[in-house]
Parts: sequence; structure tokens; C-alpha cells
Amino acid sequence: MNAFLRKLLRLLAVIAVVALALGLRLRAVERLPIDYDEDDYLLAAQHYAAALVQGDWAEIAGYEYNLEHPPLAKLVYGAVLSYFPQAPEIPALPTSAAPAASLPEPQFLALRLTAALQGTLAVLTLALIDPLAGLFLGVHTFTIKYTSQVMLEALPALTSLLAALAYLRSRGRARGRFDLWLGLSGALLGLTAAAKYLYAVVGLAILLHWLWSIRRLELRRASAWLPALAWGGVSLAVFFAADPYLWPDPLGRLQASILFNTGYAAGEQVQNAGLPFWQPLSWLFQSVPWHPGVFLFTLDALIALLALAGLKRAWAREPFFVFWLATAFGFLLLWPTKWAQYTLVLTAPLSLVAAEGARARLWEPFSAWRRRPKRLALPRFERRAWELRWREVRRALPWLLPGTLALGLIAVFPLVYQAAMALTDFQAVAIRDGLNGGVWREVWLGLSGQVEPVVVEPFSRSFTRVTEVHYAGTSLLTQVIFGFGGDILVFEALWTVLSVALQLALGLGVALLLQRRGVLFKRWWGAILILPWAIPEFVGALIWGRMFDPRFGWFLQATSFAETPGYPLASPLASWQDQPNIALLILLVAATWYGFPLMMLAASAALKMLPAEVYDAAQIDGAGRWAQFRYITWPMVLPLLAPAMILRAIFAFNQFYLFYVLNAPFPLITLASLSYFVFDANSGYGGQFALSAAINVFTVIVLALLLLWFNRWSRSVEGVTYA
Amino acid sequence: MRKPTPLGQLGVQLALAGVALFVLAPIWSIAYLAFDGALHGAPVEFRLWPEQFTLEVFGEVWREPAQSTDFLSLLKNSLFVSGGAALCSVAFGASMAYAFARYRFPGRSGGLFALLVGAFLPPVALMTPLYVLLEGLGLRASLLGLMIVYTSFSMPFCIWNMRAAFQAVPMELEEAAFLDGADALNAFWRVTLPLALPSIAVAALVAFLVGYTEFAIGWLFVESSRNVTLAMAISGGIRGGQGSWANLAALAILMSLPVVAVFLLLQRYLVDRFLVGVVES
Repeated sequence: MNAFLRKLLRLLAVIAVVALALGLRLRAVERLPIDYDEDDYLLAAQHYAAALVQGDWAEIAGYEYNLEHPPLAKLVYGAVLSYFPQAPEIPALPTSAAPAASLPEPQFLALRLTAALQGTLAVLTLALIDPLAGLFLGVHTFTIKYTSQVMLEALPALTSLLAALAYLRSRGRARGRFDLWLGLSGALLGLTAAAKYLYAVVGLAILLHWLWSIRRLELRRASAWLPALAWGGVSLAVFFAADPYLWPDPLGRLQASILFNTGYAAGEQVQNAGLPFWQPLSWLFQSVPWHPGVFLFTLDALIALLALAGLKRAWAREPFFVFWLATAFGFLLLWPTKWAQYTLVLTAPLSLVAAEGARARLWEPFSAWRRRPKRLALPRFERRAWELRWREVRRALPWLLPGTLALGLIAVFPLVYQAAMALTDFQAVAIRDGLNGGVWREVWLGLSGQVEPVVVEPFSRSFTRVTEVHYAGTSLLTQVIFGFGGDILVFEALWTVLSVALQLALGLGVALLLQRRGVLFKRWWGAILILPWAIPEFVGALIWGRMFDPRFGWFLQATSFAETPGYPLASPLASWQDQPNIALLILLVAATWYGFPLMMLAASAALKMLPAEVYDAAQIDGAGRWAQFRYITWPMVLPLLAPAMILRAIFAFNQFYLFYVLNAPFPLITLASLSYFVFDANSGYGGQFALSAAINVFTVIVLALLLLWFNRWSRSVEGVTYA
Repeated sequence: MRKPTPLGQLGVQLALAGVALFVLAPIWSIAYLAFDGALHGAPVEFRLWPEQFTLEVFGEVWREPAQSTDFLSLLKNSLFVSGGAALCSVAFGASMAYAFARYRFPGRSGGLFALLVGAFLPPVALMTPLYVLLEGLGLRASLLGLMIVYTSFSMPFCIWNMRAAFQAVPMELEEAAFLDGADALNAFWRVTLPLALPSIAVAALVAFLVGYTEFAIGWLFVESSRNVTLAMAISGGIRGGQGSWANLAALAILMSLPVVAVFLLLQRYLVDRFLVGVVES
């Protein structure tokens, strides 16, 4: 009975998830404006529909329009259109043209519905294996958007998911032999590639997973390769069969089509977009920003966070999904074209991993908390404890008084005032009103409901002539957190992680070299290498400004290849301020310079504490240099380095002078620097006190959360030391 | 572990030399400008070496480092602002740090966490409201105002560090003082404080350096050239990008030398002071 009930509940959950997903997609179908490329695909579908009606396969195979994308998804659209009366063909515009103003109905609606149906089928498939994952895929806004428009994403997203599941099914049953499921997986992969090349990355993930999971010895036997070869053969055959465009001249046309994509990736349009290599990360950590009001839930960032938290558990449960996620994500990082719709190649595994994360981090702590043992009441003891505590308070109070007063005046009260400022539109011109209590007045009026909040658009500059403070509600805070703040936070996370990792690598590496026996001039090297730590931070920033300033940079001058050296610089790096990837590299070089000496000092101190006997024992056991480092040095040194790492991480998160001097392009900026720039009346967007306050409030919250997390982390790594 | 082979030795030395180059080259790129008598304005040519070696630039910045101010008054402003901030942080914070070290009152762990967050807040996070509040008091552009600002940056860090220093003093010593008839204040003043003084001095030094090396926020607050600090004078050069880079480099060297010397001398203590910030006892 219980099992039956469970099944019933699960079925109901699946139905609810699919209904929700379908509803959200229908809403998007109805409300989303016509987007780039929708007209192109509609035109292709019209053409295919006409040919299908006449049964003219030669025409279908010969059709070269939009050759960069294989035709299967467009053919499916064509098949749907063939049931409708023919509308006049819409004009063919270049792919970079603005979205069409209007498209023929009901054809357009029919195609959008087709896409939405395919998207809902993907949700259904996912919900059948894991309803929670289905829910995440169902509410993911980027997934909704691009499976509710006439795009090419819906079909390959569905078939790639099916190909992955068929592969897993085959692994569970055939244990490495070729069976029907593996054949099906190959066929679905072929269909995926014939619908959109990018989604074939699932095939790469399958291949990698297969290579990883198979015993190394087995690879020597030729027969072990046979299933994989058969799988590949099936997928290739199906790919060619499902791609009529290739029929007249398979290799030549395939080459042309793929070269178009690589050319596009290296081309002007992608270059001009100027998106950094980590842009996919930004897409994952925000909801679709362009269509306010279309999506009911904006949980994309939460889903990405949960996926991050669930990686470990998902790996233990089913490594393949992590393989898929990692392969697809790695590909997106490397591929130069960074359009938002490409994230759909990984939203299915992302949802699965996020579901594990939700269970591990949300559901289980919650149910443990619910089932916590009731505390026994010990009234007498409690009263005694209260007395003791009260005594401590009485004794501590006089000691606490001066510090509390001082901090209250110069730190706590300003922070409270700042929180109030963040709720207004306070800016430089309104300073008189602000000084006369305008901030308190407006916040009181606003919070007690006596005035309506005004709308503030931070970067429009139109409001900066108002000489009075107004209540603005939480509009600035939400814009900071859910608007540009997300992009900056993604950069901050990347920046913090990468700079600490580089500093750790160099610092630990140098410490290991210096700790070797018999190295000459140890003290001299040590004294030279800690210099960046001893030099004041802002002088360090000046130094790096001198190195990489676009006009006066010493390094740029050194790499200048022109006949006449000097101004303007001819170095290929001189325009680094327009290239986010190179800018990140330059910033990281400077950050490593700043930070590795402290790591080196901490690592040197830590290495001295390691007992030599362990190494002797390891050597007797035949451990090489790498094994000694990997299994002895690293695990024993890491906990001792945790404080230095945390310190450098917070420093990187707050880093200011470097960004002040080097002027990297948006979003390569820390919250602290941005807050300074919008405050400083001399900068382009300066004088926005309220915006600066809102950014600071956000910074304080993020920093407090970071410190909580660091505290837990450093305690947990301390727990595994010194076995 | 065995002695390295000559080849191994060479490899290690080369690797260390590579890292040293990475450390020194950027420093040299700006340091050599201070010795270049031929450089007026910004360096537009690539050189490895001063075009015309001279020590004259240092004399020049000593006489007139920034417009209409002399070096000594810049230094005086710097010392007043940052020394005052360090003194205030220690003086107002010491007793609070002692309370956190010795008593187990409710709200203690919450207070400690708040102090930790305060210690790691970027200065900008307090700048915005302090600007408005000090403007209201008419203190914004004065040296006293700047001192208050720098105090608010460094005080949580100081308290956190002094707490660790007090905690390191064994309780038993105080208890012995109680047996001899001392009250709490006396025991603190005569026993704990003197023993913790070296660590407190280091904490104060760190607080001093916060103000001594700060310029960006200083420029937002200060208006009159009489109230400019040394760090601000240096940064003034790069803000426009027009000033003499030779002067800028010479000032940067003059201002960094004492700091570098202090860091190298007190290396061990400072590392401990910094790291104690994040280690919960």
C-alpha cells in the first residue's frame, strides 16, 4: 500500500511538473516578442513545407538557405506547416538583421507551439527520472525562452537528453555489450547532430564517460572497442540520413556548413559582442533579463547554485550527468560564440545535478531540523545558567562601553544610515535636503506607506538634477542584486577563485623550492620574493599601472613592434581594455604579484611543521616526488594555509586600487570599486549616493555570507589534519 | 632528503630567478624613473635604464612634492591622520577587546562575528554614509574628519587582534593578582596590558598603515591642499596622468621605504597579526 501510495504521489508530481512547464511555455509563446532569427527559421520551414507537400525531395536536399544549421529541426517545423494553408514567403534577410516586425499567422504560432511541445516533452522525460529535476528544467527561464520561440533548440535539447538516457539504460543492462539501447542512443545522437551541431556535445560526454568507466586493461582488447564503434557508426549513419542537405555532396557540404560556424565564431559579429570567455557562467547565474513580466519564476541563479552544491552527490549517484555537465560547460567556455541560447545544451544535466543539490542542502537539513530531538526542560539548571550569564554581562558591561560607543557612532550608525540611503534616490545635487534629514523623512514616509516609491534608473542620468530626496523603495537594491550586480558577482567569484588559486600555486611552489635541502642563497631569495607584500597596496597599484597603462605601460612599450616606439603604442596588447579576456589575464598577473608572498610565508611556516618521518616512510614505500606531494604535503599543508587563503580571498573580493588604476572594462570590476565610481562626483556616473549605498549594502550581505561559509570551511579542513 | 645534484641546483636557482624577475621587473619599471633627470612628464619611450642618472629628483620632491605644499607638511598630515586613527582604534577598542577575551556574556559570538565582518569590510562600504554624516557635522573636509574615517576602517580589525593578544595572556596571572588584592581594572592595567603590549603595538601599526597608505577616499573628502596627505600627493600625479612621473616615482619610493623596512623587520609578527584575523580560537 505504501509503495503504491508513493508511486501515486510520484505520478502526481510528474503530472504537476509537466502541467506547470507547459503552462509557463504557453505563457511565453503568447507573450515573447519576435526575436532574432525567428523569421529565418520560419522562412526555411515555409520552403520545406512547400516541398514536402509536393513530395519534392530533390528540392529539400538542394535547399541551401541557412546552411550553417543542419535542417532537421527546420524540417520538423516544415512538416507542421505543411498542414496549414501556404502563406506568401517572408523576405530573406541577413542573420544579423533586426527581428521581423510581424510574421504570418497562424503559421508563426503553430511553430512556436511545436517548439513548446518539444520543450515540454523534455521536461516530461526528465520528470520521469526525477520530478525535482523536471521542475527545475520546467521553470528555467532561458530554457523556457528558447523552447518557446521559433528556434532550433527545442528538438536537439530533447533528443540529446534521450540519447543520454538510452546510453545509461544500455550501461545498466548490457554491461559494455552492444544492445538495442546503445543503438538507440547512437541513433538519437545522430538526430541531435542533424538538428543542431552544438548539442552533439552529449556524444563527446558519452564517449568520455565510456572511456573513463571502462577498465584500462580492457582497452587493449579490440573487442572492447566494438560497441563504441558500432554506436558511432549508427549515429553517423542516422546523422547523414536525417540531414538531406548533405545528400548531394556529403563531405563538401558538411565542410561548408561547419566552416561557416567556425568562421562565424571568429567573425566580426562575435568579436563586436565583446563577451568574455566566462559569459556562459553569467548566463547560468541570471534569469532572462530582456523580457520582464513574461516569466513567473526567476530561479535560474538558485538552480545554478544548487547544481554547484550538488556536484559531489551527483557524482556519487551517477557520474555521467556530471560528465555531461562538465563537458558541455567546458565546450561553452572554449567556444568563442557566447550566445545565450547555447546554455540549453546543459540545462538538462544542470537540473539533474541541481536536484541532488536541493536534496542535500535544502530538503535533508530541513527534515533533520523537523525531526530534531525535543530539548529536555531543566528549569533549575536554566535559572542557574541565567544567573551566571547575567553576572558575566554585569562584569563585561563597563569594559564594553567605550568601544561600543565609538563603534556605534563611527560604524554601526553609518551602516544603518547607509541602509536607509539605499531606499531613496539620494544623489549629489540633493545633498542639502539629505543633510537636513531628508533621508530619514523619506524612508519614514515610504515605509509607513504615505508616499509611493519613485522609480530610479541608475545609469540614465536624468534624475540627477532633482534637489530633493525621494523614497525609492527597494528598486535600487533589486536592480543591484538582480541586474548588473549578478554579472559583477559572477566576475567577483571568478576573480576571487582564480587569483587565490594562482597565488596559492606560486606561493606554495616557491616555498617548496626554498624548503629543499642545500639550495643556495635561500635567505636572499626569501627577502626579495616577499617585497610585494611589504610594499603598500596603492604603490603596488601604481606599479602595475605603469606596467600596463595603454599610454605609458612599460610592458606594452617593451612589446611594441612598431618602427617608432612610444605614443600611441603599437603593442598588440595596447587595446587590452577593450578585450575582457586579456584584461582578466593582466589583472590576474598583478593579483598574483600582490598575493603570492603571503602564501609563500604561510606555506614556508607550514612546511616546517611537517614531520620528516612521514616522508622517510613514504620513500621506503616507493612514493615518488609527485605522490609525496599529492598524498602527504598537500593534505597536511592545506589546513594550515586556510587562514591565508581566506585572507587573500577577501582581499581579492574587496580589491580596489588595482581596478582604480587599471580601468578594466565592465563587468571586470569589484563591487567596492563600482561603489566608489558611482559615488565619486568626478567620474562619469558619479554622485549617485543612493546607488553607492545600495551596492555597499549588497557587499556587506555577501561578505557576511562569505565569512560564515569560510568559517565553516576552515573548521572542516582543520578536522582532517594529522591522522 | 638528499642533496641536490648540480643540475638540480641550477634548475632551482633558475626557477627562483624567474620568480624574482617577476617580482622585481614591475618595481624597477617605476623605480628607475625617480633617477632619470631627463624625464619631464610621462614616460613615452621604452627604456631599461634612466636616460640621465641623477639624484636631483629626490631633492626636488623634498622641496616641493605637490603644488604649494612642502614634504614635511604632507608628512605631518599623514602622521596626524593615520597616527590619530591608530591611537583612537587602540584606545577606544582595548577594553572591548578585553571583554571579548575574558567574559562569556550572551551575544558574545554574535558580536565577534560582527567585528570580523567589520574588519573585512572594504573601506568604501563605510565611506558613503560617513561622507554625508561628516558633511552634516561640518567635519568632512578637515583632517579630523579624515582621521575619524580611517578610525572606522581600522578599529574592528584592531579590536579583533587585541582580543587575541589578551587571550594569549594566561588567566592564572590575573588570578594571582586578584589574590594579591588587585581589582579587575588593576589586574588589567598592571598585568595583562603590559604583557599584551607588543601584540597591541603591531595591531596599532597595521591600523596606522591603513591611513598612511590610503588616498582614494582621502581625495573624495579633502578639498584644501593644506589637508593633503603624502599618499594623496603621490596619487595626484597619476589621476591626471599629466604630472611628472619622475616626481611621482621618487615620492612613492620615499613613502614606501619606511613601510617596507617595517614589514621586513617585523615580518613574523605581522604575518601572525594578519592571519589571526581569520582564525577562530
